[in-house]
Amino acid sequence: MTSIGEQLSRDDLLAVVFESVREIMPTVEPARLRPELHLRDLGADSVDRVEIIVTVLDWLGLAEPLASFTDLSDIDAMVDLLYRRTRS
Amino acid sequence: MTIPAVGIEAMNVYAGVARIPVAEIFTGRGLDPSRLKNLMMTDKSVGLPCEDPVTNAVNAARPLIDQLPAADRGRIEVLVTSTESGVDFSKSVASYVHEYLGLSRRCRLIEVKQACYGATAAAQLAAGYLVSGMSHGAKVLVIATDISLVDDRSGYTEPAMGFGAAALLIGTEPRVLTLDLGAFGTYSYETMDSARPAPTFDVAAADRSLFTYLDCLDNCFRAYQDRVDSADFGQTFDYLAFHTPFAGMVRAAHRKMMRDHARGADSAADFEQRVGPSLYYPSRIGNLCSGSVYTALASVIDNAEIDDGARVGMYSYGSGCSSEFFSGVVDAASREAIREMRISERLDRRVTLQFDEYTRLLEGSLSCLVPDRNRTIDSEPFLPLYAKSGERQDLLMWTGTKDYHRTYDWISTPGGTDDD
Repeated sequence: MTSIGEQLSRDDLLAVVFESVREIMPTVEPARLRPELHLRDLGADSVDRVEIIVTVLDWLGLAEPLASFTDLSDIDAMVDLLYRRTRS
Repeated sequence: MTIPAVGIEAMNVYAGVARIPVAEIFTGRGLDPSRLKNLMMTDKSVGLPCEDPVTNAVNAARPLIDQLPAADRGRIEVLVTSTESGVDFSKSVASYVHEYLGLSRRCRLIEVKQACYGATAAAQLAAGYLVSGMSHGAKVLVIATDISLVDDRSGYTEPAMGFGAAALLIGTEPRVLTLDLGAFGTYSYETMDSARPAPTFDVAAADRSLFTYLDCLDNCFRAYQDRVDSADFGQTFDYLAFHTPFAGMVRAAHRKMMRDHARGADSAADFEQRVGPSLYYPSRIGNLCSGSVYTALASVIDNAEIDDGARVGMYSYGSGCSSEFFSGVVDAASREAIREMRISERLDRRVTLQFDEYTRLLEGSLSCLVPDRNRTIDSEPFLPLYAKSGERQDLLMWTGTKDYHRTYDWISTPGGTDDD
């Protein structure tokens, strides 16, 4: 299945993730958004993390199981996963 | 052969005699208060050191048994306890429960385990048994019963875990919930999202558990749609009652399902209308494991507009994992039946504990599943709590073990002695 994210670069995907974080957690300072952080480091609890991931998948038109996002070490690893999935 | 209607004939929730405001635990444990908004809970039930899975089960089921005519009591041909709080590797909780409920000896006893899903598996298998014609007019008593093993090691799980049991009498005169026979979707696979490796602690991976719950909900509903032509998440169900680890998780689940299956609808308004009524009791009790989805159902029946008949979509999830989306119909008779159990009133009358009282009780409760050969539990210090709770029914208390045999005693509660 092709998705809207197929043409997106890693930087584009990172921007989608950050935009989703800002949508779910509007009080997070933009300057705090860095790829080497985990969503947890930004103050996202488990419900926030679900909402952020669902928002990202929705934006990209991806039907990826949420379980795939369980053991990711940081936002960068999330972008790696999204990059692979948008091209598979 | 005409297939009879089948479902829940009677149902009760027992949620202990004590509670603590969730905010007190946040303060006492130094948890981040900003997390309260996604927890969406006010209180949690707290067990006493003289309460265990057996007493919870008996105390939940006794009102159902007491109201049954003697002839109907004799038709309870299967007793199932669903628990992840077993008291022995071989001997079932059901064997004790059978004794203290005084059920017929012509009864099958069994205990099932699949984390928070076990009771739904038992109820569905019971429904199949009852409509099969194997034993016309029989009834099956399914009791979801657990205790929680959370303390300061448990982080944000501690405020979410409740204490108690839900008892369901399954039969072919389904006054409380008529199951939509054949309308279900299941989804199961092995995963390590949470478990109880020993009798004194749980392990839980918060993200994995939440993500798996949500993935399974979507897959269960798709499987339900494969069986039920034209099933529509946004339209088919008047109300939704889900397994509720904490109310905020159900809100996240609903929002995701609306995105995936009812795009364009007003998700927030739909949540208030169709999900809100299911959360009143769970948000005051905490997670009751496999009894949680039935606590949510009782909450719908007591708090939603159902008198003209309403279809309830239900989702049961148990870590490990196995899960099911199914549905049934409730109406004014359901409300009448559930109101007889006075669940809301009994929740209100639970004694409110201070944090230091709560931690003292925990010290006595956390070893309740440890198989000591001999143990005596002094119930004396807890009698004032029972009296203060205003419980009107006689309650079973755990008094200890003698050569590994658990011992119990009834306490007659005076009822209505104190408004707390």
